[in-house]
Amino acid sequence: MNQRIRRFAVVLIVLYVILFAQLNFIQVGQKTTLDADARNTRQTVRDFNDPRGDIRTSDGVVIATSVRNAAGSEFDWQRTYPEGDLYSAITGYFTFGYGATQIEKVQNDVLAGRTIEQQMKGFRSLFNGQDTTGTVETTIDADIQQAAKDALGNRDGSVVVIEPATGAVKAMWSWPTYDTNLVAVQDSKLAGDIFNYLDEVPGKPLLANAYQERYMPGSTFKVITTAAALDDGLITRESTWADESEFLPPQTIDPIQNYGNKVCGGDLPEVFRRSCNTPFARTAIELGPEKMVAAAERFGIGQEIPFDLPRSASSEFGDVEYFKQNLPLLGIGGFGQGNTQMVPLHMAMVAASIAHGGVMMKPYVIGATYDHDGGVLQRTVPTVWKTPMTPATSTLLTELMVGVVNEGTAKCCMHLANGIQAAAKTGTAQLNAAGEPERSHAWIIAFAPAEAPKYAIVVMLKGTTAEISEGTGGTLAGPVAKKVLDVALAQ
Amino acid sequence: MTDTKNVIAARRRSTEFRLVLMAGIITAVAYTLASLGQNSVIPPRILPFLAALLLVLMSAHIGVRWLAHGADSTLLPVATLLNGIGYVMIARLSERLAGLQTTWTFVGVAAFVAVLFVIQRVNDLARYKWTFFFFGAGLLLLPMVPGLGFSSGGARIWVSIGPINFQPGEFAKIALALFFAGYLADNRELISAGTWKVGRFYLPEPRHLLPLLAAWGFSVVVMVGQKDLGSSLLFFTLFIVMVWVATEKTSFLVIGLGLFVAGATAAYFMFDHVQTRVAIWLDPWSRYQGKGYQIAQAMYALGSGGVSGTGLGLGDPTRIPEAKNDFIFAAIGEELGLFGATAILIAFLLMIGAGLRTAMRTTRPFEKLLAVGLTTILGIQAFIIIGGVIRVVPLTGITLPFVSYGGSSLVANYVLLALLIRVSDSSARRLGEIPDTATFSERFAARLAQRRIKKHPEELEAMS
Repeated sequence: MNQRIRRFAVVLIVLYVILFAQLNFIQVGQKTTLDADARNTRQTVRDFNDPRGDIRTSDGVVIATSVRNAAGSEFDWQRTYPEGDLYSAITGYFTFGYGATQIEKVQNDVLAGRTIEQQMKGFRSLFNGQDTTGTVETTIDADIQQAAKDALGNRDGSVVVIEPATGAVKAMWSWPTYDTNLVAVQDSKLAGDIFNYLDEVPGKPLLANAYQERYMPGSTFKVITTAAALDDGLITRESTWADESEFLPPQTIDPIQNYGNKVCGGDLPEVFRRSCNTPFARTAIELGPEKMVAAAERFGIGQEIPFDLPRSASSEFGDVEYFKQNLPLLGIGGFGQGNTQMVPLHMAMVAASIAHGGVMMKPYVIGATYDHDGGVLQRTVPTVWKTPMTPATSTLLTELMVGVVNEGTAKCCMHLANGIQAAAKTGTAQLNAAGEPERSHAWIIAFAPAEAPKYAIVVMLKGTTAEISEGTGGTLAGPVAKKVLDVALAQ
Repeated sequence: MTDTKNVIAARRRSTEFRLVLMAGIITAVAYTLASLGQNSVIPPRILPFLAALLLVLMSAHIGVRWLAHGADSTLLPVATLLNGIGYVMIARLSERLAGLQTTWTFVGVAAFVAVLFVIQRVNDLARYKWTFFFFGAGLLLLPMVPGLGFSSGGARIWVSIGPINFQPGEFAKIALALFFAGYLADNRELISAGTWKVGRFYLPEPRHLLPLLAAWGFSVVVMVGQKDLGSSLLFFTLFIVMVWVATEKTSFLVIGLGLFVAGATAAYFMFDHVQTRVAIWLDPWSRYQGKGYQIAQAMYALGSGGVSGTGLGLGDPTRIPEAKNDFIFAAIGEELGLFGATAILIAFLLMIGAGLRTAMRTTRPFEKLLAVGLTTILGIQAFIIIGGVIRVVPLTGITLPFVSYGGSSLVANYVLLALLIRVSDSSARRLGEIPDTATFSERFAARLAQRRIKKHPEELEAMS
């Protein structure tokens, strides 16, 4: 009988090895799939039953917090956003069943107290039951953010304010947006309905157009063409362009025209402040596809913006081979039309790099993270991303942009309070083809004070209203920028 | 007791002591961690818990030391470890059930010691094989008696007598293992010889086969009458394995497999609930809102546990229906991860190893078959339910021995453990590893006899 018993033992061992193999298959092989299953709410439920730390602005305004629910509720905590929609693109949402976005997503471990450091420090809490959640402090300044919202009003568009020396984002506002509290409800069916609604309404409120969308930049792009040509030595401050109303580039019979077919020309400061098109078209084509594309790359165009919020868009200019076949488009691209697309945040970074001696910092909105006792977990150290131009070029560009404010296209509306000098460049990106009703994005990039810049700003008004027409970019976007800069510089 | 041979027994018992202590420490630490994980506090009732734990472990250990000191040293520690881990999970799932499980553990250990005390010679049991047969059959059919039996969770396996509810099936399987060991030990040669010629084949006499067919009948009755697929499968496997080991005839294995396939196929087409079980085994996801929910939740739990687990008290096993019971393995897999779940598998393999080693060491057919039978109950039952939870086989609800919540199951498994330990001790005596001293009842009988001889010496002379 012993032989049979031995065989039986082998059979049992095989059976248990099968169990072990299947366990591995489930707990290791299928783990990711199982965790990602939409019906699997284990992680979310756990998160909802745990306390979660605050998100606040650099000046201490709490913009996301968790409040304890009344006893007997399904979950112990409710996530609330005291400022409504003002910070929805910064904090993002933390929902039951629909995941999390922005800071709620990328700083989830800190907020939930799950980083290794917090766990170690929180060891004491094993005995007293204290929570270990962390706090995220953003770089956003509550006053500037509010000013951006107020100044933009109910027009589609975005406002971004950056500190040129560090890359810290002081304000970032997009319209349309949504009230984060609407989707953070614990009734997941209701949340689902609200998400469906937000997905379908025009203007994509769930997307922060300030950094998750890109738009044709119009004449604001001329600062990039100018920087490229100055650094190359192709042009200088003294370069002049003959008066002309249109310019016929190679490879086409369709000439490039100035706005309104006006005659436009002169030295660099003049064509820059008057925002003539043909000089920049000529400059771009003379520089050639290689140098223009290389310059765009030096500005980070075509690359992912190293932002600390997820899913930022990247700007676009074009590639060398394409432009070689399409020189007219290179010329048009030289003044920000055609296929050129810029993320508003990226345009703010371009302005900031001119303000910061030609050095472009990595933009960031997460200033520091703290543990429950207020100890610093991590503080963002400003780092250089790109060096798109020489300091001399940045100085000259500043001078040109001051000219725009004092005598050029922004003369109307960029004279700041208390006589502070601003530097700016306007842009109006024409979206309609010839013969269609006019439709344009209105832009302005600026920084102030011009002599010692503290803030760089971009304002973009989406071409969804008939109010914006070619030539009015400065007059529409300029006042928004001025209001915001006035508030920022009043501090 | 100064015999040098007792060194072996002493060594086994001190090993067992250390292992039992280790199982106790693991249980205590796990209990504390679960409370820390769940409520972030040291368990408020840690002192009574430690006292109860120590009492349970030491009474079981001292019971073995006193009554079966030559037995295998791993069976008891592994069983107490499984019981401990199970208790920690149950306490973590429901405080109320933890209190009841504590009571059941005490009753279980008491039953364990009582069985060791009452049954000191294994062969005494062989004599009562027919008693066990009728006892087991009666227990098995008890839930079908109107007024006594009742259904819970779809299976009619409960009996209510006065204030006490229990599952007689848990004890029936031990009784039937005892009967089969006894019956086969006596008749195995007759059965395997095959003297009944049918055509070209020699088959065993019908009257020797009858009990085997009765066994198959029981499985069918349990399946049809009580809708208890897991127990049905377990009984059937138990009988087939025991007959195969006893007769050494592969043909019985083939016949058994044939009967199983026939029974399973018929059941599949006859009963909706069997079809459902198979369907949710193959694809629980499409029936997520219905019968597949439990398995799907178990899958999520195991996945969320991953390799190292969420940590005791930090998972969410309450989302799995019946996590305390049939699905306790999924709860363990969630909070202790692949490591913890594998540890449970290894624990059962250790018990299987110890059980089958006992079976191989002993020379008496009855003891051999009994050890094989008891080990089969333990090993196959654990396989059926673990395999059901992790979708290796269709889910059939039975308890995970020693781990799941439940009085009948826990007490029955401690009785089973006592019998295995008794067989192991008995084989150690027979192998001469420890002196085969007289048992209490034998000494008592001898003293009575001596007294009678002193009083009436003429009786002895008359006998000779």
